[in-house]
Amino acid sequence: MSRQDGRDRLVSAEDADDTGATILHADLDAFFASVELLDRPELRGRPVIVGRDSPRSVVTAATYEARRYGVNSAMPMAVALRRCPHAVVVEPHRDRYEHWSARFFEICRTITPLVEPVGIDEGFLDVSGAGRAIGSPRAAAALLRERVRERTGLVASVGVAGSKFVAKLASGRAKPDGLLVVPVAETVAFLRPLPVDALWGVGGRTGERLRGRAISTIGELADTPPATLRAALGDALAQRLHELARGIDPRPVVTERAERSIGRETTFEEDVADPAELRRVLRRLSDDVGARLRRAGCSARTIAIKVRFGDFRTISRSRTLAEPTDVGHAIHEAAVALLDAAGEIPPVRLIGVRAEQLGPRTVSLWEEDAWREAEQAVDQARDRFGRGAVRPARLLPDSGGPRGPRRPA
Amino acid sequence: MSSNHLFIDPDSPTPTDPPGTGVRGLWQDESPQQKGTHVRFEVNRDVFSEAVSFAVKLLPQRTTLPILGGVLIEAGDDSVTLSAFDYESSARTTIGAAVGEPGRALVSGRLLADIASRLPAAPVEFSVDGGRVSIRCGAGRFTLLPMPVEEYPALPELAAAGGLVPGELLADAIGQVVVAASRDDVTPVITGVQLEVGENSLSLVATDRYRVAIRDIPWDSADSGIVEATALVPARVLAEIGKTFAHAKTVRIAIAEGGDRELIAFSAEDKAVTSLLIKGNYPPVKRLFPQSVEDYAVLSTSDLVDAVRRVSLVLEREAALRFSFSPDGLTLEAAGGEQAQASESIDAVLTGEETVVSLKPQFLIDALGGVHSEFVRLGFTRTDNPNKPGPVLITAQTSGDTGPSSFRYLLQPNLLLR
Repeated sequence: MSRQDGRDRLVSAEDADDTGATILHADLDAFFASVELLDRPELRGRPVIVGRDSPRSVVTAATYEARRYGVNSAMPMAVALRRCPHAVVVEPHRDRYEHWSARFFEICRTITPLVEPVGIDEGFLDVSGAGRAIGSPRAAAALLRERVRERTGLVASVGVAGSKFVAKLASGRAKPDGLLVVPVAETVAFLRPLPVDALWGVGGRTGERLRGRAISTIGELADTPPATLRAALGDALAQRLHELARGIDPRPVVTERAERSIGRETTFEEDVADPAELRRVLRRLSDDVGARLRRAGCSARTIAIKVRFGDFRTISRSRTLAEPTDVGHAIHEAAVALLDAAGEIPPVRLIGVRAEQLGPRTVSLWEEDAWREAEQAVDQARDRFGRGAVRPARLLPDSGGPRGPRRPA
Repeated sequence: MSSNHLFIDPDSPTPTDPPGTGVRGLWQDESPQQKGTHVRFEVNRDVFSEAVSFAVKLLPQRTTLPILGGVLIEAGDDSVTLSAFDYESSARTTIGAAVGEPGRALVSGRLLADIASRLPAAPVEFSVDGGRVSIRCGAGRFTLLPMPVEEYPALPELAAAGGLVPGELLADAIGQVVVAASRDDVTPVITGVQLEVGENSLSLVATDRYRVAIRDIPWDSADSGIVEATALVPARVLAEIGKTFAHAKTVRIAIAEGGDRELIAFSAEDKAVTSLLIKGNYPPVKRLFPQSVEDYAVLSTSDLVDAVRRVSLVLEREAALRFSFSPDGLTLEAAGGEQAQASESIDAVLTGEETVVSLKPQFLIDALGGVHSEFVRLGFTRTDNPNKPGPVLITAQTSGDTGPSSFRYLLQPNLLLR
């Protein structure tokens, strides 16, 4: 969507009918460029190009101000600067993009757990079961946009529709800083004037083949007899495009459930021999793994650790739990037990925790596990205030002050 | 089974002569008479077979104490009592028999049950003599080694007083709730069914954390004076109790509290079952039930069962079905991963807001098996927590408002994940 400069922007009226339009596509506007602006607010309102200022590099991203001059991503930097000589070029900062991307998806998950990230700056949300606190799909989209703006300073455009593909088209049309609801009843009318290239699965060759048969809009595609399409494209693609052209897209929003394991590991700058320090690191890794399991709606039946020593010898140990868990505390207990069972070990270079044998988490009617409740509260605090907001006391840096006797956890 | 002990009961009368005339064969064929008890009775084949099968039903499949795999046979004046006991639960039944010589014997329960179930239709002669148990029936004849009866533990005494419940309703209620009890020994309290005696009613409650099933049946405290009590009974034992007493007109339930062995006893006619109670505090699950439910759907129970069974064919193990309720009806969807998907729509009358829930099919089937009614009501409770969908309340849909349903099943939906 980087080519869009916002000139054919379309947003919906307050009263657009969102019944059954339960799929949201949220897309951060000019993501890389906007992140750079967070760190350099003085550049707001000016054309900004992200990329290296060298003759052989290409444009990574551009603000809407720069796009109006015809600057697009992937364009050679030299061309971009010819089109917009007064643009400010800033170097890309990958780690910042990853940080803000993670924040963005955390915020999406405050709306519904059913979030499917697509790339670094966009994702689908299925709000059909989001509940009354969130409200209608339109209200959910508005709330998401508000939270993203409040908590990150970034801007998300959101498309709301009955299917993923239409929602994605809608968010594209809503940019920048827009919200577009495509009512289920108006889906076909919305699609008809769009070029066939807007359909998922229509790339250069398919597009050419269609245009060769005088099919250039989605409406024309929908009107083409299926037999003609099959002759041009083959059975499977013809069938799929014909459905898409009529707004039919049965693909569900899928989360990370397909993952087979979730792990975290860390390499020390200097080898660590102190068992207390290793336990502390396991605690942090276990908490991370637990949070990721909860986010994915999974629980793990098996916990494994990996320990690499200074001489690069590596051991792995795993154990199966009595009950599957997604709680960092329980993962840590298992990980420490595995480490203890390994006996005397040489100084450690790398240590990791992995949750395996994942299955969908079954929600219980009541929580007996106080740890789980506590960790869920931490998840929520972190969604709101960022990663450093809450952490276990034993992971806090030493204050240097006097300490009371340590109590068992 | 280590049954190669010789059977000697010091308390029994000393045998004198070989068994009386009229009894042929067996003793004469055996090695010279050993010092031991003589037990001898004749009994109807069907009565015997039924009694043995009842007694062994509660025996543990595997036990570390072989002697607990035995069935105790006690011949009295004109009746025979068969008992089994594994320290947790006991089963006892008394049948009419023509007793030639009273006495006690202990034999392998499984073996006796196998034999009894295959005997031909003829009177059964049971006898013990000279360290051998002999069973003759028609032309069939079995000889087994007895187990050491003197090592067998004393069975718990039955309390005389108890409250009364109709057998059929008790069996019904047990069948409705036991499915919801946990099978995971990690949390022993929820592997039991909680019985709660209130004024004129007995509640049976079971849960495995993901659902709660409750059934209320009438309770007649009779002479027992039990008007308020709770007892946590192992679900496995209670399931057998339900089957055992399904045809009894009334079942007497006695709860022996106090002391370190709390016990519950169920008895009717010639049968009695006791069980130790599970110790611990049962979670207060009754308060999880909503006071009122404003959004609900009414469906044909059998249509829903059929649709759930069909659509879940493509599901992976442990996966849930997605149920979308709208004014047009209910759509069930199963995503079986890459390989297969399925969906089906059925009629449903929705009152209130559209709702989507993700439920484990077996949990729903268990509920639908319990409602015992043509139509079922699924109530949707509200929640503000996106990480915890509101539970679904499943009850029978009856015509008119007849007060709270006697069977209620609360089911926690999964997160809405595909």
